[in-house]
Amino acid sequence: MARVQLKHVTKRYDDQGDVVTAVDDMNLDIAHGEFICFVGPSGCGKSTTMETIAGLTIPTEGEIYIGDREVTNLPPKDRGIAMVFQNIALFPHMDVYDNISFGLRLRDYPQDEIDRRVERAADIVQLEGMLNRMPEEMSGGQRQRVAIARAIVREPDVFLMDEPLANLDAKLKVHMRTELQRLHKELDTTIIYVTHDQEEAMTLSDRIAVLDSGQLQQIDPPLTCYNEPDNLFVAGFIGSPSMNFVEGTVTETAIETPNFSLEFNPSSVDDVSAGDEVTLGIRPEDIYPGELRDEVPDPSGQIAATTDILEPMGDEIFAYLLLGDGETSMSQELATNDQLLMSIDPDSDLEEDEEIEVVIDRRNVHLFDSATGEAIVHDLIPYETDSSASGSEVESDD
Amino acid sequence: MATPTEQLDDSEGGPLERWTKRAIKDPQRVYRALFYVAMAFFVVTTLFPFYWLLVLAVTPRQNLLSGSFLPEIDLFGAGMTFPLPVPRKGFAPGSFITIFEQIPFHLFVLNSFVLAITTTIIVLFVASLSGYVFGRLDFPGRALLMLGILAVSYFPPAAFLIPLFEAFAGNEPIVIPFTQIPLFTAPRLLNTPGSMVIPFSGLFLPLAVFILTTFYAQIPDGLEDAARVEGTTRLGALFRVIMPLSAPGVATAAVLTFISVYNEYFFSSLMALSPSAENWSPLVGGILSYQTQYTTQFNLMAAASVVGVLPVVILVVVAQERIVSGLTSGALKE
Repeated sequence: MARVQLKHVTKRYDDQGDVVTAVDDMNLDIAHGEFICFVGPSGCGKSTTMETIAGLTIPTEGEIYIGDREVTNLPPKDRGIAMVFQNIALFPHMDVYDNISFGLRLRDYPQDEIDRRVERAADIVQLEGMLNRMPEEMSGGQRQRVAIARAIVREPDVFLMDEPLANLDAKLKVHMRTELQRLHKELDTTIIYVTHDQEEAMTLSDRIAVLDSGQLQQIDPPLTCYNEPDNLFVAGFIGSPSMNFVEGTVTETAIETPNFSLEFNPSSVDDVSAGDEVTLGIRPEDIYPGELRDEVPDPSGQIAATTDILEPMGDEIFAYLLLGDGETSMSQELATNDQLLMSIDPDSDLEEDEEIEVVIDRRNVHLFDSATGEAIVHDLIPYETDSSASGSEVESDD
Repeated sequence: MATPTEQLDDSEGGPLERWTKRAIKDPQRVYRALFYVAMAFFVVTTLFPFYWLLVLAVTPRQNLLSGSFLPEIDLFGAGMTFPLPVPRKGFAPGSFITIFEQIPFHLFVLNSFVLAITTTIIVLFVASLSGYVFGRLDFPGRALLMLGILAVSYFPPAAFLIPLFEAFAGNEPIVIPFTQIPLFTAPRLLNTPGSMVIPFSGLFLPLAVFILTTFYAQIPDGLEDAARVEGTTRLGALFRVIMPLSAPGVATAAVLTFISVYNEYFFSSLMALSPSAENWSPLVGGILSYQTQYTTQFNLMAAASVVGVLPVVILVVVAQERIVSGLTSGALKE
């Protein structure tokens, strides 16, 4: 049983006098057999966290447990782990058989046991008949499969995968992704997987650990991270294209933003009162063209907008909407108040630079505290009335 | 219209004129010709000493110092001499056997071999460890330490001779500088391989460290990490993954060290108190002992030199491909 626990793990580097904190007080509890993805932007500490679990980096503070053992200061070879690297890292001077059996030979397994295990591993990753090839004679996907075979042949307690699909082309990536899921089902081993690709994280994992600046932002099942992000960072990171953020102020009956207002009853939520600065988070698929108003579960009032750019993706169209007079009043990173991204049906006959009206599904509007970035509520409850009457269109609210 | 003119040009004039015209049309011909001239020059200057060594080796000793080596040919009354491969002073290949009869020359060769191989192994091992540290780890003072190691090779080796000779003589204890406090007394190492291998290792180490550092630094971190995760220690990763992948660099360092020690004379002639095989006198010591107080047997010295050179020639031919790729790739990669 390989439960993996990180307790207050911190890693600081001394970068020419400056202390850089790569991992900041990380606490994780990963159950046996779980598929966990570490996801976050470059430099968020996800790879460093994995290296501390692998033993390639010794943490500055904190403890790491694999199973019941404390492994914080053990060398990698004594931790019962196997790892698949981003650059694949096959030994170029050994053929496939030697690569896969490297770890077993180091541990002095009997020859027939090595042969049996290598054969089985090659069978799992579908590499039969390629055991005599050299890595340089293989394609990227085949090499990746050798790397995975090298990891599974030792039957480790924990698999660590550091962006194993990052260097593959898009098609192969999708294929290997399903193979990994099949593998996880077959092996019933704990897998820790590092990626910067939130789509990979969504599809593969049982739980996603979202990291930013060395700190754990949220660890939850993929859909929970998507539907109920704990803070602005998770909300912006999970989901593609990213969530729209609009800054606003809470009043007694609504949330006022520069270009529109949404009805809201502040007393329905504990931590909000009139006058609070908040950030609205709206996913592109929760914005609908005005004519679909009747199909929206809990529509807001009509909001006037001008289409800017359309990006047809095939199964949907991303429409960039400009609100208000079309001039960006504030240019902040997350809150581009005058712009909304809407995802619409591909059959729509929307044109660029067309003046339209849109509605927002209030059931799926997220509310964040602007100051702390913490999520307040993931579902705006209006003060009990029929929403159609009071939905207000505010183009110039001052 | 142009074609008949060219044909006319080619066939007209003398050979030089025709060649010049063709060269103007096709400048590559000039470069090719220059290349052959330069090649011929280098081949002659490189191989001629070796050829001359062979000529000396097979010339009978009594004929060495009289008359000319060049055969005289009477060409219709005009006397001319030509350097021909067969000397006219007689042919005595027996010197290749005599060299083993007069002194145990094979033992001198063996001495040099043992010294060279021992030194090469020590140098490769120590240089691998330091190459790993300098090439792959980051620590304060790395550049300064590397400079210090390289500085060893800037000193003339002769500067080390007297202190080392004193130490290896084992008479006086080694003291703390400027005091009389003894640290330890070195064992008497003169006339033993230790007195030669130790200074050789120290002298040839910096170059090997430098070569291996550049090579080891180029092995991707991921490979070492992979080896460590798979079950090696850092040292295991060095010898199982990093070193095999740096084979050209290791071969270069090994061959350079081997040849340097194999040809070494200065230290070994002094550390071996007499030029005899029992005192670990090397190859060159053996060659020079054909010179006695009254005679200098140049033919035997030449024959012994030829015999001594052969192992190195074979080694270099075998390892040549590796060495060339090692010397160039170390310089070119990133």
